[in-house]
Amino acid sequence: MTTSQSTSLDDPTAADPVVEIRNATVRFGMERGESRVLDDVSLDLERNEIFGVVGESGSGKSMLASAMLDAVVEPGILDGSITYRPEAGDPIDVLGLTTNELRTFRWEEIAMVFQGAMSSFNPVRKIDTHFVETLSAHDYDVDEGMERARGLISDLYMDPERVLDSYPHELSGGMKQRTLIALSLILEPDVLVMDEPTAALDLLMQRSIVSLIEEIKEEYDLTILFITHDLPLVADLADRIAVMYAFEFVELGPTEEILQHASHPYTRLLLKSTPNLASPIEAMRPIEGSAPDPVNVPSGCSFHLRCPLADEQCVEVDPEAYSVSDSSVSVTGSDSDSDLSPDSDATSIPNSDAGDHVANCHYWEDAPETIPMTEEWDVEGIDAIDSAPGPSRTADPLVSMEDVEVHFETEGSFLDFFSEPDTVQAVDGISLDIYENDVVVLVGESGCGKTTFGKTAVGLQEPTDGAVKYRGQDIWDLKRSGGDGTMSFDTVRRALQIVHQDPGSALNAHRRVGTSLEVPLKRWNPELDGNDRKSRIVSLLEHVGMSPAEDYIDRYPHQLSGGEQQRVALIRAMLMNPDLILADEPVSALDVSLRVEMMDLMIELQEQFDTSYLFVSHDLSNARYIAEKTGGRIGVVYLGELVEIGRPEEIIHDPQHPYTQALRWATPEPDFEGGGMGGESPIREIDVPDPTDPPSGCRYHTRCPEAREVCTREHPEPNEASAAAYHEAACFRTDDHHEYWNSPSITDGGD
Amino acid sequence: MVTIGWRLRRLAQALFTVWAVITLSFAMIRLMPGNAMGAMMVRFEQQGMSPARARELVELRLSLDPDKPIHTAYVEYVLNTLQGDLGTSVFHNEPVVDLLAAALPWTLFVLSWSIFISFFIGIAAGALMAYWEGGKLDVGLTSWAVLMGSIPFYVLAILLLIFASYRWGIFPSGGRQPTGVEAGFNITYIRGILYHATLPVLSMLVASGVASLGMRGNSIRVLGSDYLRVARLRGLSDYTISTQYVARNAVLPMYTTLLISIGEMFGGSIVLEYVFNYRGLGLLLYEAFNQRDYPLMMGGFVLITIAVVIALLIADMTYSWVDPRAGGQNSDSY
Repeated sequence: MTTSQSTSLDDPTAADPVVEIRNATVRFGMERGESRVLDDVSLDLERNEIFGVVGESGSGKSMLASAMLDAVVEPGILDGSITYRPEAGDPIDVLGLTTNELRTFRWEEIAMVFQGAMSSFNPVRKIDTHFVETLSAHDYDVDEGMERARGLISDLYMDPERVLDSYPHELSGGMKQRTLIALSLILEPDVLVMDEPTAALDLLMQRSIVSLIEEIKEEYDLTILFITHDLPLVADLADRIAVMYAFEFVELGPTEEILQHASHPYTRLLLKSTPNLASPIEAMRPIEGSAPDPVNVPSGCSFHLRCPLADEQCVEVDPEAYSVSDSSVSVTGSDSDSDLSPDSDATSIPNSDAGDHVANCHYWEDAPETIPMTEEWDVEGIDAIDSAPGPSRTADPLVSMEDVEVHFETEGSFLDFFSEPDTVQAVDGISLDIYENDVVVLVGESGCGKTTFGKTAVGLQEPTDGAVKYRGQDIWDLKRSGGDGTMSFDTVRRALQIVHQDPGSALNAHRRVGTSLEVPLKRWNPELDGNDRKSRIVSLLEHVGMSPAEDYIDRYPHQLSGGEQQRVALIRAMLMNPDLILADEPVSALDVSLRVEMMDLMIELQEQFDTSYLFVSHDLSNARYIAEKTGGRIGVVYLGELVEIGRPEEIIHDPQHPYTQALRWATPEPDFEGGGMGGESPIREIDVPDPTDPPSGCRYHTRCPEAREVCTREHPEPNEASAAAYHEAACFRTDDHHEYWNSPSITDGGD
Repeated sequence: MVTIGWRLRRLAQALFTVWAVITLSFAMIRLMPGNAMGAMMVRFEQQGMSPARARELVELRLSLDPDKPIHTAYVEYVLNTLQGDLGTSVFHNEPVVDLLAAALPWTLFVLSWSIFISFFIGIAAGALMAYWEGGKLDVGLTSWAVLMGSIPFYVLAILLLIFASYRWGIFPSGGRQPTGVEAGFNITYIRGILYHATLPVLSMLVASGVASLGMRGNSIRVLGSDYLRVARLRGLSDYTISTQYVARNAVLPMYTTLLISIGEMFGGSIVLEYVFNYRGLGLLLYEAFNQRDYPLMMGGFVLITIAVVIALLIADMTYSWVDPRAGGQNSDSY
């Protein structure tokens, strides 16, 4: 498959590709046959553009990144040609370089940022060593280079001296990721390949880094290849986007074209399946089926097995790249280098006419009709969303937390015997009631204590102060006293369950699915015999869509996909017949297209098993999906405090606390209407303050755009935030008569 | 407990162990089958001493007085031990402390060489095995390592004795220093010492088998890590990568193993020195067992335990110097 580029000569950018990839193919010889993990991909990367590559896990997008640096891991074989055209000098045939030339080429011309920033640094050496050794390995002047490193680090909003003098583990995830970006730019490369650079971070940090990438790109004159699974995230950043499916591009075009006139069925389905804040929840649909195995890619169009438009032709003929640009529906012109239509945001997308819009689908013209994006699309309607009614919250709560505090101590350094240890206030005075059939979703950044709070709620973490009550009984008193006859700690233990974020490590790797699921039944339903247990497990597996269940019962966890593992973990929790399940980021380990399906399943099981959920998530769109479908509430946690809680209508559309507003800003949205959503970052500081020394007064005042002098002294208490029910926020701004309004602002000049 | 650092707790733990050992040794003297005191009395009486004189001597040697109430005796014993007074050897008729102090350097000499060489060989072999993982060298060295790991050191010691000493006569079959050479800082004497220590050191090299397997596993893990991939892409030299990245990270977990093996080797030295008739701490203790020299036995017992406790304490306390991640701060501290 080739993607045709615009040949127009009067377009200066189109004629100046910095990297040309032609027919790049990566093959692995495997026992089951040859596996192609990159299939004949061609691409021209224009100088100074940001090119987004979107694909799900296992679509070959990381292979593309490795191929750019000729760094495909053995025993993979890379064919095709990759040409790098420096600004001055002759083009370089990357695949023809010798080992030594390649060593120079990498990082000096094309550098790379990996997803695993957590593990991209040598754990036993300080950050500055990483910079110094890179500079000396490439015979750069170290002093000059370190000066540049300091500049880069402060451009990324960090303190250079502190970062350089730290060991990798002393930096937070977001800081490590930014330091890795600085390290990748230390030799002043022209091209930066970023492979899921934000995937491990929470949304606010993702958004902050994405905005930084734009600044960095301008300042250092870069061309960026940005690889991600998250279409809405890259949509805000990239000039052009390519969508990968089954190891090849299926659609490529300028960002706004892809968003507004997606023409490949896969792109359209992917857009629809992504949870977001704007579309009505009914419009979010999972993609049926699963991505193909690299050894056995379907003939013809690789998507035909999952495609609603597929027919004979799709099975037999591999579709060419059809040009979509001359389509009458397109507003952004034709094959000619027409000007941008007036309603496009021309300033934010300088290279939008650098490439044509192509889709590898025989029926690209029919796709928009068959898979409508905006069928029930009603801009007015979005704001008028109405979530499910939810449970009655008048009866006695199921689990009730009263002023819960969890403080952890950290150790001092070597031979630091007597100094007072630092205390991390992971949870600091949160009260929350969870009712029968209730759903509460906790959102917040990493390190804000939301998981600790969740664990406290289900009795896995003992609070250092305050009480956790299950049906009116303090569960820790119960544990110590051994129960009063009416209720024992065992009952509580059974009633409160947890589903972990990473299903792979939550399941015993050496136990078959059936055996894992039998354990809770044996423990809690001893009256069932082996056959009863088995039939119960089989019916549940069938119910969650894992059929034939007899086959799945005998599998080991590693033989299941991530989604299937998470289902097994969920069933295992459900078999205990719990009253409340803590689901700690249950979908963030899954591909975007599977998230909606998993959340639907969880909601369905909730109704069936009559449980309550406490979700923990860093993603506001997932939170909104669940809370809206179940009539639950969203609680926003910041530095161990619950700063706002309410039904999704209020949290999403009428957020009162500035922190909620920041989270709202950070949630990327696919922008079908054209026009950027971005806007200025509403936070003044990218990093969360040190939790061992939280800011005085309102803890958010160091980052809050609305902070005034009073916020640094006084601590706001939760307050009724709006007329809506259950809506509370801990911010002075909710009180019209507070002295806040007369207090001087601290946001400008003082920072 | 709340405000005490784990290091202080760890130190308290070590002190507790030492105290427990001293207490145990006190109890053993009184409870041991055959009654240690009775045995000594009988021996002195057989030598023709009057019972009163014998009793006096026993009290002196064991630094305890059976007539005192048990708690007073216990406190005295503990205090004496802590002051370094471990009593007087029955057999040698010398203070136990002096005997131990004379024998200890010889054992430490053999032990430190054994540990140094086995870990050096183990780490080097493990690194090679990891580098050529799955290759012939890996298979060969793995088999060697498994063999070494499964042979008890005293079997190897006897084999070495049979071949290298009795059959081929390359090395002496026993002793710790050359005869007829004046002890001192001269080349002949030092060479003689090394010559005599060779076979004991070689027998202890079985430890290198386990070490190399550990190193192999660690290295393979490091070789697959993300930071190694990034380091390669950054164009670092092979030397930097192999020393600063692979070796440094793979050796870290070996550090604790190394200090733990000191304890094992101390225990092993009793049999080892007996086999080679090497006059160190181990042989001294062995003879003490045979001669029912209780003060010496207890002294050696206390000394070895304290040495192991200190080694482990050092391992725990210094690990954060070797591995910055093991320091107090957790990853969220910023």
